[in-house]
Amino acid sequence: MKKFLLDYGIKVRLPIILFVAAASFALTYYITYAERTGIGYQPEQPIAYSHKLHAGDMGIDCQYCHVGVEKSRVASVPSVNVCMGCHSVARKDQPEIQKLTKYYNENKPIPWKRIHRVPDFVYFNHSVHVNKGIVCQDCHGQVQAMDTVINNKYKTTGQVNSFTMGACLDCHRNSHEKFPNLPNLNKGPENCSACHR
Amino acid sequence: MDKKDRMDKKDRMDKKDLKSINKSETNDLNSGEAGYWRSFKELYNDPAFKKTLKNEFSPEALQKPDTKNMSAVTRRRFLALMGASAAFAAAGCSNYQDKGVIYPYNQKPEEVILGLPNYYASTCSGCTSACGILVKTREGRPIKINGNPDQPVNKGKICSKGQASIMNLYSPERLKEPMMNKAQLNWGDVTKNVNAVLTSAASSGKEIAIVTHSILSPTLKKLLDEFKLTFATAKVYSYEVFNNSTRVNAWQKTYGKRSMPVIQLDKAKIILALESDFLGNDHNMIEYTRMFVQNRDVMTNNEFNRLYAVEGAVTNTGMNADYRLRLRTDAIEELVMCLLNELAGKKKLSSFAMDSRVTSVFSSNDLKQFAVKYKLDENVLNNLVDDLAKNQGSSIVMGGDKLSESTHIAINLLNEVIGAAKLYSIETENTELVPLSTPQDMDNLVSDMSTGKVGAVIHFDTNPVYNLSPEYKYEESVKKVPVIITLAEQVSETTEISNYVLPIHSQLECWNDFKTRTGFYSMQQPIIAPLYNTRQKEAILLSWKDNKEATETTYKDYLIANWEKVIYPAMGSAVSFKKFWNSALHDGVVYVNEKPEAAGSSYSIEAFVSAPKIKASNDFTVLLQNNNNVGDGRFAFNGWLQELPNPITKIVWDNYASLSVQSASELGVQSNDTIDITIGSRKQTFPVFIQPGMADKTIEISLGYGRTVAGVIGTGIGVNANVLIAKNPSLSDRFYNNAHVSQAGGKYELVSTQEHHPIDSDPLLKDIQFRRGIIRQGTVDEYKKNPKFLRDDEGDIDLQPINTPPPYRNPGFSGFKWGMAIDLNKCTGCEACIISCNVENNIPIVGKDQVYANREMMWLRIDRYYYGTPDAPSANFQPMLCQHCDYAPCENVCPVAATTHSDDGINGMAYNRCVGTRYCANNCPYKVRRFNYFDYRDRVADGVQYAEPMDLMANPEVTVRSRGVMEKCTFCVQRIMKERQDAIAEHRDVIGANVKTACQEACPAYAIEFGNVNDKESNIAKYREHLLGYGALEELKVLPNVTYMAKLRNIYEPLPYGNKEHEKNNNNTEENKKNEEH
Repeated sequence: MKKFLLDYGIKVRLPIILFVAAASFALTYYITYAERTGIGYQPEQPIAYSHKLHAGDMGIDCQYCHVGVEKSRVASVPSVNVCMGCHSVARKDQPEIQKLTKYYNENKPIPWKRIHRVPDFVYFNHSVHVNKGIVCQDCHGQVQAMDTVINNKYKTTGQVNSFTMGACLDCHRNSHEKFPNLPNLNKGPENCSACHR
Repeated sequence: MDKKDRMDKKDRMDKKDLKSINKSETNDLNSGEAGYWRSFKELYNDPAFKKTLKNEFSPEALQKPDTKNMSAVTRRRFLALMGASAAFAAAGCSNYQDKGVIYPYNQKPEEVILGLPNYYASTCSGCTSACGILVKTREGRPIKINGNPDQPVNKGKICSKGQASIMNLYSPERLKEPMMNKAQLNWGDVTKNVNAVLTSAASSGKEIAIVTHSILSPTLKKLLDEFKLTFATAKVYSYEVFNNSTRVNAWQKTYGKRSMPVIQLDKAKIILALESDFLGNDHNMIEYTRMFVQNRDVMTNNEFNRLYAVEGAVTNTGMNADYRLRLRTDAIEELVMCLLNELAGKKKLSSFAMDSRVTSVFSSNDLKQFAVKYKLDENVLNNLVDDLAKNQGSSIVMGGDKLSESTHIAINLLNEVIGAAKLYSIETENTELVPLSTPQDMDNLVSDMSTGKVGAVIHFDTNPVYNLSPEYKYEESVKKVPVIITLAEQVSETTEISNYVLPIHSQLECWNDFKTRTGFYSMQQPIIAPLYNTRQKEAILLSWKDNKEATETTYKDYLIANWEKVIYPAMGSAVSFKKFWNSALHDGVVYVNEKPEAAGSSYSIEAFVSAPKIKASNDFTVLLQNNNNVGDGRFAFNGWLQELPNPITKIVWDNYASLSVQSASELGVQSNDTIDITIGSRKQTFPVFIQPGMADKTIEISLGYGRTVAGVIGTGIGVNANVLIAKNPSLSDRFYNNAHVSQAGGKYELVSTQEHHPIDSDPLLKDIQFRRGIIRQGTVDEYKKNPKFLRDDEGDIDLQPINTPPPYRNPGFSGFKWGMAIDLNKCTGCEACIISCNVENNIPIVGKDQVYANREMMWLRIDRYYYGTPDAPSANFQPMLCQHCDYAPCENVCPVAATTHSDDGINGMAYNRCVGTRYCANNCPYKVRRFNYFDYRDRVADGVQYAEPMDLMANPEVTVRSRGVMEKCTFCVQRIMKERQDAIAEHRDVIGANVKTACQEACPAYAIEFGNVNDKESNIAKYREHLLGYGALEELKVLPNVTYMAKLRNIYEPLPYGNKEHEKNNNNTEENKKNEEH
């Protein structure tokens, strides 16, 4: 009788326990390793647009294109006619610009690959942060220095910081240490309804 | 707790239940909450109801699904599994980091800023009121309809139907393509074919009949006139189920004109409502509500108006009245005669009293005898006569839409006698562009159709097959017409029998102008480009007239031309037309310099003397009511409206015959039994609902139900009461006094929310002394004598919080704290707030079966508490929503901290954290938390709420909740956040008064106030400190942040169930307790 129980333990329970432990470890590792939060994500874009060239070298203000950032929850990706404001004249001979012109003439939106994304249940608000004096680079990194990555010109801007709830709260709790240049900055709200509704 | 304790507790519970059963034998009126009761079950201490008070869930809610009758894998489930496996397969191959694609505009419209709403003014064409609306759009999608504040009649408010009509635009069941004999064709062919049909009909002398609703647009009127010129045999017929005809006809007979003056109800001190639901579903409800509550404002004045209501049915107006008398409707005329006799005959109040022709009509009517005959309270009638006599020039009698012409003629005289003409506006009056067709006209049409004299009939967005009296035999006759053309948004009984079914724009895709009063026009402009291959109904007519296919601008061009050439030049405006037109569309309203016609303003005695007089019968009286759900059936597709509880009965998804207690027992029926109602040769079977306060031998039934062709939502809901309408009614088309009623022997389950979420205030159950009611009220006199009467008992209560407050980061709520105040003096229970909340917060419909299981999802409900006897109850309406308690009991029990408190006093709910334990709902004393037992969007009517394009309707600022999470009122936190965003952008402080919650925005009575309670200058702070303010269930000391203003009744005698009575109740309960201990 006892022998049988032991047998059962070795033959059935032990492998199950080991399997569950291994599976949980693998799953936890897979879910939590750094790349999961998207840092370093640089997808291939339909047009090889360079932030370094526009925002860095030429010094165009971020808000020239991302018009919603001061007024609205979303910064908004510029519509094609904003690009064409310059490119109907400038650099019309470049192949990438010709692609852009094609989109414009066909009246089609450009399918930009999304880089930064918070889940649907998070209502992050750009204008609140920008109007408090927090600059784009604080979250998005030195976008004006981001250029084509070696070997693949279609990969341009990438994600630098993690956009997890921990990252949000890190600033909201330690605003003064994080932003010593903004002495009038209040602590960010920490209640659920500030972001979730 | 050990086993023995548990046993003991169980024992005690059993005993308690036994007690409540014993108590039911005594049948005392003071059972529920200090004499308040919500249903007969509560009044008579039904043990089952007692149990629901104690339990978190009703037995229905705990029912197990019937697995035997379910197939193992349903079609939907199968598709879901297929989809899921496909998704998994795809996910395996794709980059897991992929976050999708952003599609920016190609050319962004200048006015659109992503994430910010735009507002456009337009006009609602849902009924004949033509209220101005202001439509909120996000990225081009209309997401919410509110009233247009610039419109002088509705001033920024619209009714529940107007609020919900946004769902009509996005209904997946709209007609999408033009059809001829069920085959699709294009608009070019439609124009060609129909023009040929119409031309040949006109040339062969056959009539072309256009059947429409009320014509409210001057440009449409012009178009129809031109249409008649092109097709000489064309005739226009208009009908309206909820019409004003008897009143207008009476006005014409007595004053010689059809345009009625606008009543300035805000100047009235005494109002007598005779079968009039001016606060509910009669004409002009929004304006009357606003004017009525102006004299019910405890913040600005204490001079209340006094409302007497005499009615057979139970309406919002009656339930809000200071004095309500129940009287069968056909005796109302006699009451008017008695009042005339008292005021003109005996008190000789006006010059008419000298005319013996007039006085002889009513000299035999004695008020005393009348009161005895109909068992009316004589004191109330005496008060009424005194009040009317004393307040000449500031009192008015309001006659209801359903009363007969002769009654309205008598009411007009009574108004003359009491000087009500002083309340008629001299600035503006109601206009009537085209009178409705008379029954004789309609009869001629039908007989012409059946004798082959009609070549084509055009149903201009109407459904006469369903709407008209069966006596016309419309369906049989119209089938004899060679070509039937129906212009409609959705399928209907009429589209079923039509040759051509042509899809038309919804009201948010249309251009038009409206004229309902002198002095201004309301403009309608499209808010969104047409979703489908539809055309505006006016443009279709125009295309046939010109034999040219309609385009998107056909009617717009016609409208602009009419304004530029006819209306604008007549106004003598100094600005250019283009500028004028743009500002007209921007404002949604155009003021013109017009005065009411002066002709014929003296009362015609002849009309009064010659009018036939109604004799009250002994048969049943039947009243066919308008409702705030489906109207005349045109809103049957709208799930939000189907699920909106009736304000009085709280029944959803049905209509029914309301009966008084006495009549029901005479007939030997209970609620949910069925009865046959026969009026002449017309007969229909209805479920019974016993409604306290109905006059005996009076039946009230809502129209608009029992549609047989109305899509997945509307088909087969309720019973068709249109079949009771007579062709040539002797009284009025919605009021009959010759009905015969008998038991039908069947059963029908009606579902009512009235016992849902009852508030547990049974003192036996709690350790704390209950001193305060959920509803508190007093009289105006009491309040004047002692403004502190509500707080007299303060000080001697030792309040103990029922739970330990959690350690808040901001325990004193310094800085900002949000709060709400609801003035119960103003709330009329119209339920516009509920729909506004549904639209704002993406609340799904759940279906009748789920409401039966107490699972309705509405965040805001209006509790209706009766008091008084079942024969003559009064009611209090109390909007109940999350109270955002400072010491919220729900927060302590959440195992995952999904519901927590914010620093500014909001009880927040993080859906993505909720695991669905439902502990919070269990612990909420207000029963305002709602659990998603299913993904209701998927479940109801085969997932119609997930069908395209319903997803476009959702408010993007609020999460769409899925199955398994708890939800509740958030104080519209998205609007608070918007104000915060604006304040930061403008570098200023947040201003509490800038935030308007969805319910507050919608309330036609201005009963809801919201803001920062720490701002002592704000309205909300003043309400909170007002002596009439109280919190519901204050004694629990959960510190609710919704302040209710106690209701004051403007009556002479003390209330039967006031605060004194309450004290007595408490003593009773103490005695009970002692008894229990023994």
